[in-house]
Amino acid sequence: MTSNQSDLTNEATGTETTVHPLQEFADGVAAAVGGVAEITVGTVKVKVPADRWVETHRIARDDLGLGFFSFLSAIEWANEVSVGYPLSEPVEERIEVISTLGDLSEGKRVTFSTDLPLDSPRIQSIVEVFPGANWHEREAHEMFGIVFEGHPNLVHLYLPDGFMGHPLRKSFPLLSREVKPWPGDVDVEAMPGEAQSGGGSDEPSTENPEA
Amino acid sequence: MSMDADTIRHLSEVSVSVELQTEDMILNIGPQHPSTHGVLRLVARVDGERAFDVQPVIGYMHRGYEKLAEVRTYPQITTIVNRIDWVSGYANEIPFIVACEKIMELEVPPRAQYIRLILTEMARICSHLVFMASYPLELGAASPLFFALRERERVLDLLEGVTGGRFHPNFNRIGGVKPAYGSGSQTRKLVQDLPAGFYRDTRAAMSRVLEVCEELDDLVAGNEIIHVRTKGVGVLPPDVAASYGVSGPNLRASGVDFDLRKVEDYLPYDDLDWNVVTGTNGDCYDRWWCRLQEIRESAKMIQQAIDNVPTGPIQAKVPKVIKVPKGETYVRAENPKGEMGYYLVTDGGNGPYRVKIRSASFSNLSILPWVLEGAMIPDIIAIMGSLDFVLGDVDR
Amino acid sequence: MGVIQKFGAPKPVSWLLNWSRKYSLWLFQFGLACCAIELMAASSPRYDFMRFGIIPLPASPRQSDLMVVAGTVTDKMAPSIRRLYDQMPEPKYVISMGSCANCGGPYWDSYSVTKGVDQIIPVDVYVPGCPPRPEALMEGIVLLQKVIQGEDVREKWNRRDLQPV
Repeated sequence: MTSNQSDLTNEATGTETTVHPLQEFADGVAAAVGGVAEITVGTVKVKVPADRWVETHRIARDDLGLGFFSFLSAIEWANEVSVGYPLSEPVEERIEVISTLGDLSEGKRVTFSTDLPLDSPRIQSIVEVFPGANWHEREAHEMFGIVFEGHPNLVHLYLPDGFMGHPLRKSFPLLSREVKPWPGDVDVEAMPGEAQSGGGSDEPSTENPEA
Repeated sequence: MSMDADTIRHLSEVSVSVELQTEDMILNIGPQHPSTHGVLRLVARVDGERAFDVQPVIGYMHRGYEKLAEVRTYPQITTIVNRIDWVSGYANEIPFIVACEKIMELEVPPRAQYIRLILTEMARICSHLVFMASYPLELGAASPLFFALRERERVLDLLEGVTGGRFHPNFNRIGGVKPAYGSGSQTRKLVQDLPAGFYRDTRAAMSRVLEVCEELDDLVAGNEIIHVRTKGVGVLPPDVAASYGVSGPNLRASGVDFDLRKVEDYLPYDDLDWNVVTGTNGDCYDRWWCRLQEIRESAKMIQQAIDNVPTGPIQAKVPKVIKVPKGETYVRAENPKGEMGYYLVTDGGNGPYRVKIRSASFSNLSILPWVLEGAMIPDIIAIMGSLDFVLGDVDR
Repeated sequence: MGVIQKFGAPKPVSWLLNWSRKYSLWLFQFGLACCAIELMAASSPRYDFMRFGIIPLPASPRQSDLMVVAGTVTDKMAPSIRRLYDQMPEPKYVISMGSCANCGGPYWDSYSVTKGVDQIIPVDVYVPGCPPRPEALMEGIVLLQKVIQGEDVREKWNRRDLQPV
């Protein structure tokens, strides 16, 4: 890490734009795998096209020395959410598969990501390159519905047999929250003199369901 | 040629299997069994005494953390996050809080960082003492349980004196640690956040912890049965371990000199003088030994940090309702079990958009089918115990 | 023993039976999650529930009297809990320890958590807390012992096929 710090001090004295200490590393990785690098809050993120997913990991393991497999997961970018906080600005709806690899000498890490369509997400499995991805891909399959081609045993990992749906999708509702949004919200009773229009605060009324 | 133990064993098995035409059997271990790991189910195909295909079935403790984190606000998430790895409670909150602070670009005051460091190392001592208690019990030795748990109570008293909880403290706030009186953005010159007598009690407890490490060294490492059961058993080569994502003392026991406390800068570990503990062979004995040495290193770290705790505020100025601006980051920390990380995707709302929890025991457990290939049934227990996983960490 | 089933027992005999039962409970620890660590701490030298006559670690559920469900109950684990409860011989008692086993706890809105173990098996004593301190668990055990002392022996005998709530 010392060479990066000297880069920062050299850049900070003269020029206007300061170069991030990880920029050189990020550009090297992006050039090697053929992707686009981005540094977000201290994390190097390289986006690659979906058909080069396995190649990217093979190059990262063999040429770049990133032999430590950290995790593989997915993010669903959707504009409508059934529970939770919606996005502030609309985005292109897709499923983004992310995987983080690291090296065991200096601790550098890179997050590779690729985009898949929302309706039928399919991608090659990286189990031959990193055998540890076996369980991570099974989890991503049952939580999001992504199909990993070439995976030896793509069955449920966490959820019981017969569970329907993919829980981490934004369209999957949490039934307990539909009945009662949050117990802390609805325990405010009106004072005796104030408006007593039948019921406390803004809880959804369960006596009159819509439609 | 000389007949060593392995050759004798092999020859006796060959002769037995020639006489009896045996079939293989499916042995179901779990999900309920008296061990601290929790509800893990192993489906083992065994041929006589050798297991050749062990598949763990997990999910019996799956509580859906990632979905729950999407519907809660940031302070609400810190209340449940310390229940992921329930043996070392405090250490689970740190990467999440640091990730939020990194996206918000908050500067945490040094006193808060030192308090976090001291409490994290205490959590590490607690977690490793539970391992010290339960692992010899699985091998058949019942006495270390009481020695280790008795000392753990002393450290838990310290944790409880500061935070109020034994192992689900919920002591971190975004920007620092929990302030002593009420609202979050008061800064005082002399802060009574650590209880009276904390320094003296901590020094006494740490010297007692170092003494009990000597006792455990004598009891367990000097025992010949433990040596025979753990030396050479469950050897993990470092490249296989890295490709599966095994981290923490399991990886360091295979000889890899890699500790996230030296590499990532989430807490001021560089101010203290400590060593990374590595093993040589990567067998069960080395994994046990690495954890014992880590208790010693943590106790020495706490003794150094206690002498140098800076004064000052304990929380940076944050608004009442915390909204983290749009960003993505991955922050990882050295949990007692291994590498724990949070991939946080935020969007400026009251709560995050997506939280991916990378837990250490999930990757540590995924190597079980590989390492149990051809192991004897009693060795299954020894190897499983030495990997030191906790089911809450695996299933989240 | 059809005598107790039909006629009950005189007061000194039932007092003796209850007294011997309450001070020799064999604890089947169903330690699932964080509360299991507190259960372990309650048996450690500082808090030590063995002085009440509770012995941990029976060899199998068929030899135990008291089942302490400590930790979160998920939908995947629920059939195993029911099966193990059915394997225990009468008279049996259940303590639900911690808020996850009482009512779902901090995971009340999760898609895979059973909201309380009393949806599956009948519970005698609820111990609140997250996790309850070892002293709280011991208070729950002492309360259970008081309940056992005041039980009617005939009613306990005839209540054998109790359905869950």
